[in-house]
Amino acid sequence: MIATRHGLLLIAPLALVLTGFFLVPVLMLLPTSFGETVPGAGLAPGVWTLENYALIITDDYYREVIWRTLGLGFFVTVACLLLGYPLAYLIARGPERWRVPLILLVIFPMMLNLVVRSFGWIALLANRGLVNNLLIELGLIATPLKLMFNLTGLMIGLTHIYLPFMVLMLVAAIRNVPRDVEAAAATLGSSRAHVFAAVTLPLSAPGILAGSILVFVLTISALVTPRMLGGPTYKVMATLIYDEYMQLLDWPRGSALSFALTLMAVGIIWLSSRLTRRWAGMA
Amino acid sequence: MSADTDGRPGPGVTLTAFAVIVFLQVPVVVVILAAFSTTSYLTIPPQGLTLAWFGKVLSDPAYLSAIRMSLILACGSTVISLVLGVAAAFALFRKAVPGSEAITSFLMAPLVLPAVVIGVALLQYFSLTGLRGGLFGLLMAHVVITVPYIVRSALASLSGLDLAVEEAARVLGASGFAAFRLVTLPLIAPGLVAGALFAFITSLDNVPVTIFLITGSQTTLPVLIFTSVEMGIDPSVAAVSTLLIVATGIVLLLAERRFGFHRFV
Repeated sequence: MIATRHGLLLIAPLALVLTGFFLVPVLMLLPTSFGETVPGAGLAPGVWTLENYALIITDDYYREVIWRTLGLGFFVTVACLLLGYPLAYLIARGPERWRVPLILLVIFPMMLNLVVRSFGWIALLANRGLVNNLLIELGLIATPLKLMFNLTGLMIGLTHIYLPFMVLMLVAAIRNVPRDVEAAAATLGSSRAHVFAAVTLPLSAPGILAGSILVFVLTISALVTPRMLGGPTYKVMATLIYDEYMQLLDWPRGSALSFALTLMAVGIIWLSSRLTRRWAGMA
Repeated sequence: MSADTDGRPGPGVTLTAFAVIVFLQVPVVVVILAAFSTTSYLTIPPQGLTLAWFGKVLSDPAYLSAIRMSLILACGSTVISLVLGVAAAFALFRKAVPGSEAITSFLMAPLVLPAVVIGVALLQYFSLTGLRGGLFGLLMAHVVITVPYIVRSALASLSGLDLAVEEAARVLGASGFAAFRLVTLPLIAPGLVAGALFAFITSLDNVPVTIFLITGSQTTLPVLIFTSVEMGIDPSVAAVSTLLIVATGIVLLLAERRFGFHRFV
């Protein structure tokens, strides 16, 4: 055991840095979100209004962007689950000698610069990109498909970006499913599909939930990929915040949007941890 | 147990899994191919073969200064995060402070908050305090986003540690710090190296916080690529991306060979 005095000394430097460069800046954003912008002059002094938040809830455009962001989060999560589960299953249950090479092939794109990966998708999905050229050359389409600056492009790009996180979560979950429970079900006459549906899938549910929450939160917070594949017109919440700050210079509205996004991310995480605790309590 | 109920992946699962692996590598391959194209616009498959774009990137002062800035930020923030994060994790692990669970959540909070929110919060804060555009502010911003990885890997490594080893060193007369440096630190080193690698890459990768904090010409590599893509694509972006791909691949393989990196992911 070390003394509390020493413990505090060890922890104080980091606590101070995080307070000074994270907690205080985020809290200082709060009063801004109740402020009002005077065009060309910055914040109006002494104004305290709920208008920014009211606008987010009532304005059709903001509501559309919020629903689009949430929908994107949902679809990307489902796509990551459907693509990730077979791969995670192969890594967890396939031949031992494939395991490390496959994991490395999952980690490699994850470690790769996000901007570089999004750039790769632009080269693939653009009007004169690889995918459209290939389809036209094969005679399958006459005019290029619109694969960028819309939901399709964002879904493909974001699924690619966050799939590795899902796979790694699922591998851990599937490896935790006891093999003898599956064997017992099989011995008792369950078909392969039934063993999977009745034993493997439910027992890997905590991993599925954890992976889904992670991918959902990362997706709704993403800025770089939506900006690069969505362009300046097809917006999600993060790119809208970026524009409010960098182009429209409306900081109050941008900070209100920031808190709305934070509330969604933190709310989802809080909800899932409560759910997990309930599950743990039942077991 | 029959052959098809032993839980081994069947051919359908295996094929799907390999298709997903290909999907994961496709944009990487495309970027590399585009970097060698002789045309000034991006074409795939590349028309002809040239190294000219690499030459262009490596002689472009804007790219060189961005690369230098990225490396300074990544190295600086990783070292600072390591020192601050390991010290904090050690105190938390030893339950030397009250409310250690709440403190751990606080240290991890930068991972939970959307990066863009941290970015705009620091933009306002730095504008008010005059830190905007300076290296110190950027460095601290990168410490905030990298330190959770260090704390997490340090806590994970420490929790796998046999406390008796350090106690033995203390009994044999080592001071608290000597016991930590000579016994505990070497034991948690592989986990820390993995955490440091994550921190380094997180810093090197970051756009959503950095882009709000840089001013004028002093930019980082990912922000420079990000902004040049918005202005139109030419193959030098693919060339600099290829350099990043190769560097990432080499680092990943080295980390795997030296200490089995995949175990720490």
